[in-house]
Amino acid sequence: MSLDWQNSPVTDDYSIEELLITVLADQFRNDDQATNGMGSFIPVAAFMLARKTHAPDLIWLAGTVGLEPRPERIPASTLEAPLWKDSIMYIEQYGDAWHLLFSSRWIEKFCVGAAQLDQYGNANNSIIGSDYHAPKVRLPGTAGLADLCSLGKKLYYWNLNHSSRSLVEKVDFISGAGYLEGGDARDKLGLANGPQLVVTNLAVMDFHPESKRMQLKSVHPGVTVEQVQDATGFELILPDGDVPETSKPTKAQVKLIREDIDPDEMRNK
Amino acid sequence: MQEKLTTIEEAISKISNGDVVALQTMATVASPMTLVRELIRQQKRELGLVVLVGGIPVDLLAAAGVINRLIGAAVTMEQFGLCQQYRQAVEQRRIRVEEISESVLNARLGAGARNLPFLPTRGAIGTDLMKENPDNMKLLDDPFGGLPVIACRALVPDVALIHAHRADRFGNIQYEPTALWPDMGIMPYAAKQVIVSVEEIVDTEVLRLNPDRTVLPGFMVDAVVEVPYGAHPTSFYPDYGYDSDFHRQWTSISRDNEKVKEFISRYVHSPANQQEYLEAIGGESVLNYIAKWEQAE
Repeated sequence: MSLDWQNSPVTDDYSIEELLITVLADQFRNDDQATNGMGSFIPVAAFMLARKTHAPDLIWLAGTVGLEPRPERIPASTLEAPLWKDSIMYIEQYGDAWHLLFSSRWIEKFCVGAAQLDQYGNANNSIIGSDYHAPKVRLPGTAGLADLCSLGKKLYYWNLNHSSRSLVEKVDFISGAGYLEGGDARDKLGLANGPQLVVTNLAVMDFHPESKRMQLKSVHPGVTVEQVQDATGFELILPDGDVPETSKPTKAQVKLIREDIDPDEMRNK
Repeated sequence: MQEKLTTIEEAISKISNGDVVALQTMATVASPMTLVRELIRQQKRELGLVVLVGGIPVDLLAAAGVINRLIGAAVTMEQFGLCQQYRQAVEQRRIRVEEISESVLNARLGAGARNLPFLPTRGAIGTDLMKENPDNMKLLDDPFGGLPVIACRALVPDVALIHAHRADRFGNIQYEPTALWPDMGIMPYAAKQVIVSVEEIVDTEVLRLNPDRTVLPGFMVDAVVEVPYGAHPTSFYPDYGYDSDFHRQWTSISRDNEKVKEFISRYVHSPANQQEYLEAIGGESVLNYIAKWEQAE
């Protein structure tokens, strides 16, 4: 790695997708193990960026199939063979994958999007509307999200469309368990970990340690707290004092994303 | 050994209206598309469909009115978007969805395969999936004193539809090393009948060179048919990638019911056989393009 990423200055030349990627990349440590699902160009870029900078040993299970792959760039799908090029191992989806995912010891971090997310971090990718069998919108479905949310994983949500339609007081359907009704509701069912962070095009949020309600952690450069609150379908908990500004990407991070990791700009699709 | 090699028409004629059909599919990956088109050609009705993550085959079956219920974890064509015909059919109550998570699907099919009443999972606890599906998912106390689990009722499909790389005429099925989903590892073991299309039929002696690649023994396979490019437009690694242009062509018209009819007529009803289908989709130039999936976008 010839690029001096550690001493690179921050830059104003970044897109919102690139900001999400750098914020998410910071969440993954060198001794972590993480995986991604479908349509996950932002999470995959974040894993690849972390591996090229501060977390070279971050273990990445691409699409829950290819262990430690070496794709030259992000391909057009995050659930097809080009992503798991040069893997050390293919994880069988009817056996090995669930042996690893059911265990609290392995593959602890999952980065994913949700059509709706509520104030307690419950996720909905199933239906919009009140009638499950005649929904207003039939969404793709839970896939493996319901499992990973209940198996003690740490969930990192990303959302490029922060609005009162995607961040709602109560989800229309719980496809993935967050903190349920808040407080100790999740603990009572014996579910460990859960949602850690929500990174949107406006702000970064986490969850209050006791009430488990979503709280504002930082606002992105140029965004006000009022703008974030107005675009959110419930009242966010605010930190004491001034709300910090989200760290801007560094020049080196942006260069890596644009030239090495995602030259085909899949992150913008 | 018993001969299993047959024609596509004969293989699919084993399926009756109302059957529950387990279909190999993972978004844009590896689906037995020629068998799926034959379901439409034979005008099957009121089929239930079991999928891990369904893509274009689910949309085509929904558009043609073949299915009226779906048991599965998701339906999407990933970067090509939602399956609009399926979506419309669900929103209009023409298809009833029994949504289950991936670990619940594995448990239900696993129980079916092993002749057990259920298998447990700890995935999906706390979600609304159980609330909408009380007949097949029940919270169960751990008899050994631990945390509760979800008991997932055995699912035994009437038939499983599979596409694989090669087979002999006795139905011994081989698969090249690539991602292996539950629809190869569990689904066929749970189903009452197994119908497999393969890229090529080879002599049994060829299979004996690599027994580690045999995934299904001939005795559990009911019918095998030879269909080159039988997964098109989905990907079938390492032989070929998914056909992006075909997926885009479908999504560009899939909200328009008249154009959907034309599309199905052109690609499903008009071609008399697989060779004519491959010509309809663009012939050699398209086949050469999808073969170079490592260089493709």
